[in-house]
Amino acid sequence: MAALSVFDKALEPVYHQEREVKYGLVDWLTTVDHKKIGVLYGVAGLFYLLVGGLEALLFRIQIAKPDQNIFVGDTFNGLVTMHATTMVFMAVMPLIAAFSNYFVPLMIGARDVAFPRMNAFSWWTFCFGSILLNSSLIFAEFPAAGWTGYAPLTTKAMSPSAGIDFWWAGLTMLAISSMVAGVNFVVTILNMRAPGMTLMRVPVLVWMMMVIQFLLAFSFPPVAVGLILLSFDRTFGTVFYEYTMGGDPHLWQHLFWVFGHPEVYVLILPSMGIVSEILPVFARRPLFGQHAVIFSGIFIGFVGFGVWGHHMFTAGMGPIADAVFASTTAIIAIPTGVKIFNWLGTLWGAKMTYPTPMIFALSFIPLFTIGGLSGIMHANAPLDLQQHDSYFVVAHFHYVLVGGALMGLFAGFYFYMPKVTGKLMNEALGKVHFWLFAIGLNLTFWPMHDLGNRGMPRRIYTYPADAGWNFDNLLATSGVFLMAAGTLVFVYNILTSLKNGKAAGRDPWDACTLEWLADSPPKAHNFDFTPIVFSERPLWDHKHTADMAIPVPAAAEEIHMPSYSWKPMWVSGGIVLILVGLLLLHTIPFSWLISVAGGLSIIGSLYAWVTEPV
Amino acid sequence: MANVAQPRSQSSVPEGVAGALPASNRSAVRRLWPALTLLAWIAVAALCGCSNEPAPRDTHNAISESGDISSFFYQMLLWLDVAIGAIVIAAWGYALVRFKRATGDDTLPAQNHGDAKLELIWTAIPTVIVIAITVPMLVGVFRLAKRPDQNQQTIEIDVTGKQWWWEFQYKSGTANGLHTANEVHVQAGTAVVMNMTSSDVIHAWWVPRLTGKRDATPGRSYPLYFSAREPGIYDGQCAELCGASHALMGTKLFVHPPAKEVEVEYNGAKVKLDSYETWVKEQLAPAAAPAGADMERGAKLFKDKTCPTCHIVKGLEGAESASPSMTTGPNLTHVGSRMTIAANTLPNTADNLAKWILDPQAVKPGAKMTKIAMTPDEAKAIAAFLTSLK
Repeated sequence: MAALSVFDKALEPVYHQEREVKYGLVDWLTTVDHKKIGVLYGVAGLFYLLVGGLEALLFRIQIAKPDQNIFVGDTFNGLVTMHATTMVFMAVMPLIAAFSNYFVPLMIGARDVAFPRMNAFSWWTFCFGSILLNSSLIFAEFPAAGWTGYAPLTTKAMSPSAGIDFWWAGLTMLAISSMVAGVNFVVTILNMRAPGMTLMRVPVLVWMMMVIQFLLAFSFPPVAVGLILLSFDRTFGTVFYEYTMGGDPHLWQHLFWVFGHPEVYVLILPSMGIVSEILPVFARRPLFGQHAVIFSGIFIGFVGFGVWGHHMFTAGMGPIADAVFASTTAIIAIPTGVKIFNWLGTLWGAKMTYPTPMIFALSFIPLFTIGGLSGIMHANAPLDLQQHDSYFVVAHFHYVLVGGALMGLFAGFYFYMPKVTGKLMNEALGKVHFWLFAIGLNLTFWPMHDLGNRGMPRRIYTYPADAGWNFDNLLATSGVFLMAAGTLVFVYNILTSLKNGKAAGRDPWDACTLEWLADSPPKAHNFDFTPIVFSERPLWDHKHTADMAIPVPAAAEEIHMPSYSWKPMWVSGGIVLILVGLLLLHTIPFSWLISVAGGLSIIGSLYAWVTEPV
Repeated sequence: MANVAQPRSQSSVPEGVAGALPASNRSAVRRLWPALTLLAWIAVAALCGCSNEPAPRDTHNAISESGDISSFFYQMLLWLDVAIGAIVIAAWGYALVRFKRATGDDTLPAQNHGDAKLELIWTAIPTVIVIAITVPMLVGVFRLAKRPDQNQQTIEIDVTGKQWWWEFQYKSGTANGLHTANEVHVQAGTAVVMNMTSSDVIHAWWVPRLTGKRDATPGRSYPLYFSAREPGIYDGQCAELCGASHALMGTKLFVHPPAKEVEVEYNGAKVKLDSYETWVKEQLAPAAAPAGADMERGAKLFKDKTCPTCHIVKGLEGAESASPSMTTGPNLTHVGSRMTIAANTLPNTADNLAKWILDPQAVKPGAKMTKIAMTPDEAKAIAAFLTSLK
């Protein structure tokens, strides 16, 4: 049994670094530090969470009552499209990337990711891509074909507005960003673990991050192909989705959903990981059946590639395809159930305290269970014919993504912010946030089950007063205001705790894993010495088990730290130029020269990248 | 394994963040919040249940066997879900109350890492449940995909989804050649085959009380089979986002009695429904010749304002040649007999028709019908003529 204060005695490592660190704005533009990139992702994710929430608030106001005329037709469809696109690709995914960037290296005892400049490249590509996508509002109008962008509604003939062009261009950049990040983190987790951290000692959150990075690396290529085909159709007049000339609208649906369903697990698995980290800390005992939780996550990742057809039961794939996809989908229920039971097993016989991160993590269990149980209904193909594209399915995926993914991410924020900022977040505000949000989300999404049963299709901007949907819609819209208020309290809490929060110290929660060994906030090199791992709870056992103290070396380590670099941003900028040239192709003569300049600048920057000393 | 009482670590903030709240508040919050959460849910669930709004499009009040199959699985899975959900949430709520740490208790709980037997059990049970619900589901999938018997009398209808209305072309039996729009009529107890396709983007035809939806995909044709039981009038609409006026792409299903006319209730009012064959006979007949000067003026204006470029009126000279463009808009031969116009968007009155003709885009954003310059008076004359086409 040893105290954490032994780590204070460790000597600072001796740096080998090619270039001195820059400061101020230049530092943020050129950083390759996984922690700073994580903060950038986090700030962007929170910003887009507010944007996507505002979009939802606006269109919910339009359908709060029947026969309203505030946001009509494609204005409404644009808000719906951008709400989903923003929440999936620009809010939840970057928030996951924030946790993954900041904490994966810390949790495995590494100093950075495997490819720090590629990591910066992922960030800048995401950043530029999200700006490009949203700039559609300035230069054209919002894309209005739904976040699923079903062809042929997205073709030039059906959607002449340039909104769709910004949509494919922006999403293509986000896809590149995710694929690169996927490869980077798989390599990091497999190769850079601290000595003694065997795969089965890797924390559950890191395991879930590794599963989703595989999913990103393998599921984004199909949708990237789909988007490129769409861009060819719209820009060069090819006919991949043009049925009159031999193209096939179903091609898009398959390419989209073979990405789209693994993507769902990309959104939910990290939150499952966060919950699996938080519950044991405040229950003060190990995660029940940790190996089962890890393997069920891996299993979900594998099977997740074989279920996409359940989004297409109404498309007419035929009974055999329907039967196969319905069966594979039902199988997902098994590993998911295993996870839920193991979390309950962790709580059973525990001695729990209930600070804000624990409250959010605990609420994940029943909220996600509700979403999972309605998912069992959708796996039933005959029943899904009724529920598909109805509000029932809207209720289902919002329980999973808001009650599940987002509540898990909120839990992660309250749990990990003290490590990032060195300051504890305010508990009272945290509880206010929780109550507003938890009540709001149930008030919003629970009545949507009823709306679906009453036959209300999704994505309709108006409905008649006699369809029987008035009461539920009013309830749903009122809940959105509570969620919005809760989110504002959350943002206020982050901002005030930066200034007034109590000092967190190294390990404010009496936690189990390596990230709490680092300072709060961690030094640029994370750890003064490379920790040696003896168990799946290295820090807990250091504190609580007599012969498992993490040894502190007497001598200072010599380490190599990567230097700042402009090159990742240049390469991302080159991609933007290529896309801008294509977007302007039919508007400004010779704009293809912009694309050529972008291509050349990518080649030049890549040459500078590989020859740059690090 | 350190399974004995241990003093808490000497970390810099000893009590964790729980120390940030006064002790009395903390215990109150701890005790109350699971109960409050549960209450909030029950309140919202009860609110949905308490709403005594009628549900004219209830997906679980089916009028066909295929609709019953969906409803059967809903009932089955609902009870299963309620049972599983109740067990999970009860265990969760119990754990929150029972296993909270007492103030001042610094001992550690048992540090066990799992229990192989227990984990095997709770992997096996869901596996058994999944198999148990998958087998009947597979039976249901193939049942729904079964084409009605060849020898049986069927009504076959080609359905084309168009931005933003539905075209119906009858293919079999007495109704062969019948061409109508938005409101589709079938006979109770007779098998129906609907071949779904589209001429622009993907739509999905959905009448919730009838059965599940079916996509109408351009370039492809997929069948939907059903046999409606109860005579009546049922509302539905497009369920696949199809552009600006997706919300206003409604449809109506009329289920006629096989023999005598019956009275059915629709939206609280009594409506008479002829027998199916009577309806077919009326619809196959050409439009009545315009009677009187007002009607003749309306018919002339209808042609002068180029309406027949897109709309057929069988029996009206100059508006019945079947050039391909003439299915761009709905067949208007018996438009006066329809209950609604603009795809179930407005009640079919002369005033509404005039409003629609004058400015279609004001009724339906992005509507493809050309806004043709005319005076309100001219629009009214055309509307009066069209209303007379019973």
